[in-house]
Amino acid sequence: MKNWIQVFSVIDFISVGILLTAIAMNALKRIESCIKDYTFNSLLLSLLIAIVAFMVEETHLYIASIVTLLSKGLLIPMFLRKIVRQMKVTHDAEPYISNALSLTISGILVAVVYASLKEGIFVTGFSKNVLQISIAVILIGLFIMITRRKAVTQVIGLLFMENGLFLAGFSLTFGMPTIIELGVLFDMLMGVIILGIFAVQIKRYFASADLDKLTILKG
Amino acid sequence: MLYSLRIFSKIDPENFLYIGVLFFLSGAVISLVPIQKVKNYIYILSVLGSIGFALLSLYLLFTLPLNLFSLPISSIFEFSFRGDAISGFFVLAISILTLAVSIYSIGYTKEMGGKGLMGFLFNIFILSMYAVVLSGNIVTFIMSWETMSIVSYFLVTFDRDEKSAKAGLVYAVMTQIGTAFIIALFLILYKQTASMNFSDIKTLSTQIPENIRHLIFIFSIIGFGTKAGIIPLHTWLPIAHPAAPSNISSLMSGVMIKTGIYGIIRICMDILGQGPEWWGISVIVIGAVSSIIGVMYALMEHDLKRLLAYHSVENIGIILLGIGASMMFKSHGLYTLSSIALIAGLYHVLNHGIFKGLLFLGAGSVMHATHTKNMEDMGGLLKEMPYTGLFFLVGSVSICALPPFNGFVSEWLTYQSLLLGFKSPSVVSKIIPPLGGAALALTGALAAACFVKAFGISFLGMPRSKHVEDVKESSPLMIAGMGVLALLCLVFGIFPGFAVNLIAPASFAVTGSYGITSNSGFLYLTETSAGLSPMTILFTVVIMSIATILFIRRLGGKRKIVYGDSWDCGIPALTPRMQYTATAFTKPIRMIFKRIYLPRRELKVSYIVKPFFVKSIKYSGEITPFFERYIYEPVTVFTHKIAGKVRLLQSGSLHLYLGYILITLILLLIFGS
Repeated sequence: MKNWIQVFSVIDFISVGILLTAIAMNALKRIESCIKDYTFNSLLLSLLIAIVAFMVEETHLYIASIVTLLSKGLLIPMFLRKIVRQMKVTHDAEPYISNALSLTISGILVAVVYASLKEGIFVTGFSKNVLQISIAVILIGLFIMITRRKAVTQVIGLLFMENGLFLAGFSLTFGMPTIIELGVLFDMLMGVIILGIFAVQIKRYFASADLDKLTILKG
Repeated sequence: MLYSLRIFSKIDPENFLYIGVLFFLSGAVISLVPIQKVKNYIYILSVLGSIGFALLSLYLLFTLPLNLFSLPISSIFEFSFRGDAISGFFVLAISILTLAVSIYSIGYTKEMGGKGLMGFLFNIFILSMYAVVLSGNIVTFIMSWETMSIVSYFLVTFDRDEKSAKAGLVYAVMTQIGTAFIIALFLILYKQTASMNFSDIKTLSTQIPENIRHLIFIFSIIGFGTKAGIIPLHTWLPIAHPAAPSNISSLMSGVMIKTGIYGIIRICMDILGQGPEWWGISVIVIGAVSSIIGVMYALMEHDLKRLLAYHSVENIGIILLGIGASMMFKSHGLYTLSSIALIAGLYHVLNHGIFKGLLFLGAGSVMHATHTKNMEDMGGLLKEMPYTGLFFLVGSVSICALPPFNGFVSEWLTYQSLLLGFKSPSVVSKIIPPLGGAALALTGALAAACFVKAFGISFLGMPRSKHVEDVKESSPLMIAGMGVLALLCLVFGIFPGFAVNLIAPASFAVTGSYGITSNSGFLYLTETSAGLSPMTILFTVVIMSIATILFIRRLGGKRKIVYGDSWDCGIPALTPRMQYTATAFTKPIRMIFKRIYLPRRELKVSYIVKPFFVKSIKYSGEITPFFERYIYEPVTVFTHKIAGKVRLLQSGSLHLYLGYILITLILLLIFGS
């Protein structure tokens, strides 16, 4: 009954979806669509966990899946939309690197990850690609943070990194203990809230949320 | 001595430690209580604490090594305090000076601002010095050492002005460079022996390979030498000592820099045991250079405290001459001679603590009264401050190594041990130590000239400026503090046997031999024909002076004393500005050693009718600060240059910082797999 997962390599498909949504971030300009993209990414993550949970019949993975769905799929996007409404920004300013170039660089990042993790580490062994994809997602998230100017899009980059980290931890160990996952999620939530408040404050004091205007803060 | 020990042999020695620590800690705590009345007791507590530690030191000197206190935190991290005769001796030296300085401080800090903070730092500073010399393992040592450095940094910057801040920076940088070497050498020791305890490292140290032993030696000379102030690592002394309040500079110069000497003895002679010949020879050379250069720069200083700071460099050099000779004799297996040389070095540690402490306290009293550090503005102070003047004179005579004071005995012993170098088998060891002796002779002569200047210009003659107009004698407690030290200068000068009995156990612990025996004030150096009896010298001097006076009276008959003016070359009136100045006094020396001083002078004359009628003459002169200009300045400039380049990385752009992280991650991914 469960072979359809293996036969149609569902897990690989979903994780590739996660990777593609991350890469898609590079081409998106409207903040609204960035948030949608992130929501989709989180939903895929939640689905992946749910399918693995179904495959190995682990209760705590179901919990992780549901918590991921609620927090990353609902709560955080909601909060981000609220910040965006408050700040009245709809588009990110022109990024440092053109879309075509950043898509290329994302591709190179994926290639580098695949090239350096040829042998990979398969603790759980349900798919060959999940670890590589997760690390690629981490790097792409970081790359998004580098190329974007607005605080909100940077936060989204950070959230992509976190999704990648979650996936990496999951692929290596079948998920960390529930308590740790809950802690990490809570941290994430708090981080987003604080960053949101900061972004609003920065906008209020400097009349801009462009982070490259903050260079004078150095010592 | 042993009899008095028997009296308190019923009491555990640890109790003296606890009592001492308790007094100092309560002194520190009540300093922070915001009630003015309580603050009069701060220094009384530290007097009591130092007495407690003095008793502990006597115990440590005359018993076997003792674990005093240990508190394990984890398997390798443990607070451990351990005492043996070497630490006992240093605890004694610290206690003696602390006692006197605490008495002095009661009077000195009376009108001072920030009294509470001062009392707190003072007590913690002293405790940290005790902790350094009593540390039983690496972790405790480094923590105590760093506490000492940090607290003394706060004391150097106690007067919150720009000059103190700069002095503090120089001090902090130099200290941290030294500490880096010390930590490195301890890490090497730990890597080689896999043990944190000094006693275990000592037993395992014979397995350390020869090259690594050399490395440890070099690191310890640089690391501890920075604290001790050897040339060319001495630059912080003349900057930091004058910046600190005088009671603190007295402690810093008197005992804190000796912790560097303690470190060298502990690592190079105790833990590493016997080294090769070149260790001792190089320490002798460092000592000789430090003593000569130190005293030469002291001669050119007109700032009283800077002058004393340079003399600390000189005296550290003299101490190292003794210790280097001891290391050299030890490497040849001449343990008796090694012991004599070490006693000479340690005796000078004790003496320098006493007389340099006294001189700094005297300088503090003078500055307290005149509000200036510049000697050229003083003059005629002896009339107004007779006791301070007397005690400063005692300190000066001691530091010049003249009998019957203590400096004479230790420098005599140092001469003896250096000149005994001919007994060693190798040619280098026959030649270098006597040359060190020659350097010491030159140093002694220059030191005498320097203190003739220091005492003569500031205390004798006529007042040179309005600073000296309404000068008052210091308060009785300040005089008492100096008096204690002046008395000890005399006691350790006349009864050297008493002091040698206190030092010999420490020397025995390192060299395994008692080099000097004493018998009712008479010192015998074992295996040599040398002996010394300062009492006899004193007696002879007194008899000779009386005889001379009587002889002159007899020969010249009784004369009437006639008071009159000095001959003034026909100039209408003599003014204080016509007096000999400190600059003029040292001119001949500046000329003789001009290759070292590299003096620059500038003379600006403006005429009314050239060349007969001069309107004004402007003279300025300075000596080139060689080490600052040619060693430290290039290093500083270079560091700033590099720092300027590195600063480019720090652009302030968040995106660039994130880029660094990404590049690091990718590199780790590529090279890690």
